[in-house]
Amino acid sequence: MNLSLLKLEIATAGLAMLVLMLDVFTRRDDKRFLGAISAAGLTAILAWSFWGGMVEGAGFHGMWINDALALFFKRLFLIATILVTVMSVGFAGKIESGVGEFFALILFACTGMMLTASVSDFVMLFVALELVTVSFYILTSFLRRQVASLEAGVKYLILGALSSAFLVYGITFIYGATNTTSFAGLAEFLSAKGATGLVLLGVLLVLAGLGFKVASVPFQIWVPDVYQGAPSPVTAFLAVGSKAAGFALLLRLLYGGLLPMKATWVALIAVLAAVTILYGNLAAIPQKNIKRLLGYSSISHAGFLLLGVAAATAFGTGAVLFYLFAYVFTTLGAFLVIVCLAHATADDEIASYAGLARRSPLLAAAMTVALVSLAGVPPMAGFFAKFLVLSAVIGQQLWWLAAVGAVGVVASLYYYLGVVKAMYWQEPRDEGAIAVSLPMKATLWCVMGATLLIGVYQGPFVAWAFDVAGRFMK
Amino acid sequence: MDDVTGLLWRILAGPLCAAVVIVLICRRSPFYADFSPVMERTAGPVIAIAFLLGSTVFAWLALDAVKAGNVMTSPTYRFLDVGDLEVNVNWSLDRLSVMMAMIVCVVSLCIFVYSVGYMHGDPGINRFFAKLSFFVFSMLGIVFSGNLVMMFVFWELVGVSSYLLIGYWYQRPAAAEAGKKAFIVNRIGDFGFLLGILLVWNVTGSVDFSDIRNYLKVHSHEIGGGVLTIAALLIFCGAVGKSAQLPLHVWLPDAMEGPTPVSALIHAATMVAAGVYMLCRVSFLVFASPAAMDVIAWIGGLTALLSAVIACQQNDIKRILAYSTLSQLGYMVMAVGLSVPQVNGYMPAMFHLSTHAFFKALLFLSAGSVIIGFHHGEQDIWKMGGLWKKMPITTACFTVGLLALTGFPGLSGFFSKETILGLAHERNDDLFVLAAVTAGFTSFYMFRLLFVAFLGQPRSEAAGKVKESPWVVLGPLIVLAILSVIGGYTWMGIPGWLVGEKGLSEVPAGGNVLALAMLAFVMGLALAFAFYYGEPAEDPIKTKFPLLHTILWHKFGFDEFYLALVKYVQGGLAALCDLVDRWVIAGLGVRGTAAVAQTLGKMLQLFQTGNLQTYAFLFAAGLVIILYYVVMQ
Repeated sequence: MNLSLLKLEIATAGLAMLVLMLDVFTRRDDKRFLGAISAAGLTAILAWSFWGGMVEGAGFHGMWINDALALFFKRLFLIATILVTVMSVGFAGKIESGVGEFFALILFACTGMMLTASVSDFVMLFVALELVTVSFYILTSFLRRQVASLEAGVKYLILGALSSAFLVYGITFIYGATNTTSFAGLAEFLSAKGATGLVLLGVLLVLAGLGFKVASVPFQIWVPDVYQGAPSPVTAFLAVGSKAAGFALLLRLLYGGLLPMKATWVALIAVLAAVTILYGNLAAIPQKNIKRLLGYSSISHAGFLLLGVAAATAFGTGAVLFYLFAYVFTTLGAFLVIVCLAHATADDEIASYAGLARRSPLLAAAMTVALVSLAGVPPMAGFFAKFLVLSAVIGQQLWWLAAVGAVGVVASLYYYLGVVKAMYWQEPRDEGAIAVSLPMKATLWCVMGATLLIGVYQGPFVAWAFDVAGRFMK
Repeated sequence: MDDVTGLLWRILAGPLCAAVVIVLICRRSPFYADFSPVMERTAGPVIAIAFLLGSTVFAWLALDAVKAGNVMTSPTYRFLDVGDLEVNVNWSLDRLSVMMAMIVCVVSLCIFVYSVGYMHGDPGINRFFAKLSFFVFSMLGIVFSGNLVMMFVFWELVGVSSYLLIGYWYQRPAAAEAGKKAFIVNRIGDFGFLLGILLVWNVTGSVDFSDIRNYLKVHSHEIGGGVLTIAALLIFCGAVGKSAQLPLHVWLPDAMEGPTPVSALIHAATMVAAGVYMLCRVSFLVFASPAAMDVIAWIGGLTALLSAVIACQQNDIKRILAYSTLSQLGYMVMAVGLSVPQVNGYMPAMFHLSTHAFFKALLFLSAGSVIIGFHHGEQDIWKMGGLWKKMPITTACFTVGLLALTGFPGLSGFFSKETILGLAHERNDDLFVLAAVTAGFTSFYMFRLLFVAFLGQPRSEAAGKVKESPWVVLGPLIVLAILSVIGGYTWMGIPGWLVGEKGLSEVPAGGNVLALAMLAFVMGLALAFAFYYGEPAEDPIKTKFPLLHTILWHKFGFDEFYLALVKYVQGGLAALCDLVDRWVIAGLGVRGTAAVAQTLGKMLQLFQTGNLQTYAFLFAAGLVIILYYVVMQ
């Protein structure tokens, strides 16, 4: 038992405990202070990961692996969680009770995500995944008096439980057939005996459970309802953190355990990617609610990310990592604006965004940068991300898949720019400037700057992602 | 070595910082309400000049560093890395770039100071200086770029700042139009440039100057000669646009709608020279293809002659100078095309570029000084006259610039022009004749300008009332006049500096060349004297040779031809495209596709019932489909 491998996770969980305890001693009006503490703590942990907080190596009887990929994802989750926490501080006014728990649950979810980055065993996979999911069950329904939030929570709980059930069911099949729960053992079995009936069934069930996490078709059906109903910071966290965790697990499983049956999963994931891109982008077109729209958009991005996975090369994996990195800033930028507007327009309808440029130029600009980046327009981060996944697919000569991706990009321009059009060229429903607090302003500028920086000066980021991918695939 | 890199960043950062600072703080603001008037009027110019002065000092230091042999191998930052394409942020710091930077800085500095007087009282003066500083930044970026992609980026930035400055008085329709024209015409050239960059990258596998140079050194025989020629010519397209060579020269005269300091800085001394500079920078590529060099030389020569002829019948003082600029740029381009790589390389072109920067800036600024005298109201030389009495210093400076331009012995232009003529004499007789004739025309139109506008008696009421300009205007004129005189001498060392360690080989500008050049100069002067010295009320050529006048007045009809081209050919194509667009693309394509997409979207929405049982069912059904798909595979 080498606990030093778990330093970062232990620190994050400890921070969550600390927040829970401090909650008891904090006056009702000072609860935002807890958010500041957790953001500061997370920043410290992030900094620690650069100076000694990360020990490379494997441990716990092969259940746990700390490598470059793990580190990449852990930092990604930490950054995302910091931004979500800052966002939640701005949102705290809308939460009638349990603000302390809200922050603590976010931290627990973050701990779970960080666990997923190092998973190399099915038992560990289940534990990590459930830590994330259970935290999200509560977070989704946190606005207890709002029917929408409750409904979202219930739907997420039941469908999530269903997917977990499939997942565990799959794990039992795999264990039954191979007598092991480790990825390496599975790989050994597969290369010796091939994917026989029971193992194949088990693997597909596990993949279905992960498909639920990343919101890939046909397991995407929960996304729009839950995204719309959940509190905005939670939706953002779902879109960014939960999805990235799904991809971390997917990469770990596919390359750690399923490499011998690569041909099978490449064919499957290619088809799923294509269908997911088409579904997400087409269904987004008639949407009228911004959070629902972003839900469909999140499905389509899952499709684009799967393109990189389907390429099954180091380039493809690097593209996925870069995509996730760019996606964090871009998506959180959009949700930051939604949170800032939560007090001015309660309904999140796109129609309420009409004329936003006149009421708050900063918010309109930040939203535009985010949406344009999501659509993949240069010079934003999203452009380069899409460019990389598409070139990864083209590099594998999967032309039809690239063509589907291109169709998806074109369709997405329509609904993203529809929002931009509303913000800049439509008459506002009501006049009056919208006040944005200073920390939120600063965060908005940071996220906007990051989206542009990653797009314009992508060299070091691409090099980083590809370096990680190269070391992971070796 | 690090020292040099630091210098370079500082040279570049100066004008950029100035532009940013001016935009950010030089305005009315509650933070410094008491200083608002100062901030709105005075701060911009002061900041811009101070930062530029810093850059000039650093450029001077860089000159010393390069002299000491510190050619930079700078740390490079990876900017773009996709597949085989790798673009770094790297700089080239060598004799060529440092000298060009020095010229840009010195001339800009003179013009910045001058602009304080010229733009006095203009409400947008801060905006003007911010744009001007941004231009200098972009220009220095071109100068120091270490690879084609970076050069292209700065190339476009220069295009944008030129557009902004030509249209500075955006309230005037003519200025806005001219800005647009300059931008669009330049785009045509830039398109070729971009294709050229792609081709060069494709052939040599790199966009980095030093890599391409090394590659060509070894492999130039393996590449088909045709490919190299095409690549060189495509890159030359960029120079044709920026340096306003035939057939893309039409934008430059119109660009004179901008404020005169802009005309002097951008459209005479620096930006238009960027094309020539770029050719010198990629000279290893140009020199690798003799066929491309021929084309370049001829285009340059023809531009030189044609513009000189047109200039003979223009009446706007700035337009005459604009055509003269075209003509001199033609000389430089021709010199690049005629270069002998082993002997002096691109030296003749760059030498003329340097002296031209001084005396053409001087001429424009003198013209600007005259325009100030007329309170920005008159630019027609036939309404001027007799200025020498009222504006003696301006007239003297203008005359110095004129003599330098026409190649009067002892002034800077004489040396550089002789170098080019000598080169032409040695390499290509046809072009030598062409260049000599051009020199004759140059002398003719410049003395015409001098006789009509500056000498004699005032031709209008306004011309009788002009006053000499203030010292802030005259100071830069005098500095530039001194530079125009001394710029060509050996002890100034421009040609020697350019050739570097190899040492200068004498261009055999023998007695014949000198005699012919002098003959051309005297002929031009004599003709101008005969036609214009007797203070005719209107142009005698107009009355005596109406046909010639009409042709020249219409500038050989280039503008009309392009307009017709746009109107009929492009217009016709556009109408056709419009039909296709309206019925096929919009009707079937867009609306059809949109309808399909919308319908599909709505159909997909049907799955989204909101009903949990349905969702669970769909989840399981999806799983079954996947199982079926994988097992059946």
